[in-house]
Amino acid sequence: MTGNAATTAQPARSVGAPLIEFRGISHHFGSREIIRDVNFSIRESEFVCLIGPSGCGKTTLLRMLGGLLTPTAGQVLFGGKPVTAPEKEISFMFQDYSKALLPWRTAGGNVSLALEANGVPAAQRGPRIAELLKKVNLANHADHFPAQLSGGMQQRVQIARCLAQEPSVLLMDEPFGALDAMTRQSLQDEILKLIAVSRTTVLFVTHDLEEAIYLGDRVVALYPNPGRVAQVFDVKLPSPRDQLTTREHPEFLRLRREIFDFVREVEHEAP
Amino acid sequence: MKLLKASLLPAFLLVIWEIAMRANNVQSDSLAAPSQVAIAFWNALFDGTIFSRTAETLRAAMLGLALGGGSALILSIFLGLVPPAARLAQFSIEVLRPVPAVALIPVAILTLGFGYGMEIALVAFATFWPILIYGMAAIVNIDQQLLDLARVLRLGAYARVTKIVLPATLPRYFVAFRLSMAVSLIIAVTVEIAANPLGIGYELMQASQSLHPALTFALVIWVGFIGFLLNSVLLFAQQRLFGPAGATMVAAP
Amino acid sequence: MTARAQIFWTAGSIGVTCLLVLGWQLVADYSGIPPVFLPGPDRAWNALVGGFSSGELLPLTEATVERMFYGWVLASLAGIVIGAIIGSSKIAREYVAPMLELVRPVPVSAFMPVVIAIIGLSGGMILIVIALGAIWPVLLATVYGVSSVEPRLIEVSRVLRLNRMQTLWKIALPNSMPDILAGMRIGLTVSLVLAVIGEMLTSESGLGFHVLVAARAFRSADLFAGVILLGLIGLVSNVAVQEIERYLLRWKRR
Repeated sequence: MTGNAATTAQPARSVGAPLIEFRGISHHFGSREIIRDVNFSIRESEFVCLIGPSGCGKTTLLRMLGGLLTPTAGQVLFGGKPVTAPEKEISFMFQDYSKALLPWRTAGGNVSLALEANGVPAAQRGPRIAELLKKVNLANHADHFPAQLSGGMQQRVQIARCLAQEPSVLLMDEPFGALDAMTRQSLQDEILKLIAVSRTTVLFVTHDLEEAIYLGDRVVALYPNPGRVAQVFDVKLPSPRDQLTTREHPEFLRLRREIFDFVREVEHEAP
Repeated sequence: MKLLKASLLPAFLLVIWEIAMRANNVQSDSLAAPSQVAIAFWNALFDGTIFSRTAETLRAAMLGLALGGGSALILSIFLGLVPPAARLAQFSIEVLRPVPAVALIPVAILTLGFGYGMEIALVAFATFWPILIYGMAAIVNIDQQLLDLARVLRLGAYARVTKIVLPATLPRYFVAFRLSMAVSLIIAVTVEIAANPLGIGYELMQASQSLHPALTFALVIWVGFIGFLLNSVLLFAQQRLFGPAGATMVAAP
Repeated sequence: MTARAQIFWTAGSIGVTCLLVLGWQLVADYSGIPPVFLPGPDRAWNALVGGFSSGELLPLTEATVERMFYGWVLASLAGIVIGAIIGSSKIAREYVAPMLELVRPVPVSAFMPVVIAIIGLSGGMILIVIALGAIWPVLLATVYGVSSVEPRLIEVSRVLRLNRMQTLWKIALPNSMPDILAGMRIGLTVSLVLAVIGEMLTSESGLGFHVLVAARAFRSADLFAGVILLGLIGLVSNVAVQEIERYLLRWKRR
């Protein structure tokens, strides 16, 4: 196709076969219906963002894939098999980093926890921890305790711990929500860089619509009360993403308008 | 339901204990079956000795608490409100505090002889420290704005203490007082067991030394019950008076 | 506060203590109370020094300290293990914990006559009573700490697929460290107290018995010397535990 490459829709990243499937997911909590008949799938190496107002069950869906919760109806399939408990290949990153890190272990010690859980022999742990901390630019802070690290650094320790599992899927629950804007942007780019190399599949829950478009290959928007899939947006933006150019890309702006309008409609819609 | 679950294990253990004693037909100088303990307790209750002895112990404990707690209250207010004084007193407090009250039993015997005097003195010493320490911490933690208010209103020292300082720190003092109450009972009973011929502790030693295991066990349980009762009464009072605010302020061991 | 001001106040504080000692001396010398009842610090000091140089006090001190220490270690280990088991099992918490709450308020010294009767007068008996008494703060602190782990950390252990032992050892117990250490500190105080009482009741060789005998024989200087020594043991052991506590909990500070 002729014309300006920047305005032509191009496939974001090469993705593979379906790896994860949410099939007929419904969930009740007591008598309250939280989620109703959610269906979507995620392909290998795809970066999918879940967005929606409070009460749409996006974190609940994430936790189901993480094996922390079993849906009252329907199945979450990973590699064709139902998820009943946390999987070795799936790592989970929490939003409240201060509560998700072990305060009595150093940054290196926290990363080590994942290696210990996977039965990596003690002799091999040292070099791997060093390598992982280097990847998240925390090489100089290996011996610091979480209380001595900033919010952004703590979240990077969590990233390193997740990567230590060598996962094929990374689940992220509003990981940058509690950070300031600058830290958030630098971490967004770090994540993209890290998974570009390892081609990890990512399911990312966020409140930030622009973040969802910036990071994702697809954005799944949910209605609230109960949570249902409202619309799925394909994000056809060039890769690798850049905080300046991508955010000014016409396609980015178009999607942004489309999703903003959608969300505004949803918020006026009767539950 | 919760109560049922909680009593299951103790009930089970009691039954085992009873059966074990009866099955071996043990006639022991040092062990007694639960049924025998119950009987001994019942008798002692009707005997009146339990009550009079307990009254003696409580009398000594309460007087000691009043003496030790009272002086600690006054000193803690002074030291809390006058930081330089607290700093100067620091070393002396750190040196005297760790002296175990029981180590002073012989000193008390030497200087005061046996009887109420020495027991009250020892209880006073033991209950002095928790109230002093907690009290000072409470005073130091008073919201600065309240103290500023006292200054703005130009309250004299006495008014400042009675109208602002005490009401503000009352919940914490009450918790400290409750803990000291437990200490007072423990020290009183310990002193009686170790040396002093009065009170329930002495009664316990008598029973033990005259080889009445059932009565000994019964009295041990009774002492525990009294401690539990006192603490519960004060805990109830604390919650009525101060509500949840009082409970969360101090982590009691 | 600046370092210089700190030193100034500490010196002043020590000075106040010296004044108190001086006051003691003056009261002893000039108040007319016979030295049999109130020896001055000079007599107590001489008795202390004399006791050590004659070789009498050292083995007694060792005996008491050893009892206190071994009883404490035994109690702490047992308390942590039992506490971890109870704390990590919901069943145990519902069936066993209430019973513990009932036993707690009983003064441990009240148990002593019973234990003496069953086990008999001996050094071993004292050790057992010390352990029985000192176990409670540690046990209760462990149960509390293990059963109140931050829920998010439990989820982390699930997501990392840690088994029960790993969760207990790597997460629940370290999480309870502050509480356990506080409990151990209290337990140490209890250990010293019970060691002294135990010695008094059983006439076993140690500082407790030594001071009791001194009191009965009206050797007040020896008595005061012994009491001072016991106070020192309490002080030193407390400070030692506090320093260890501070080191182990250094991750808390920014």
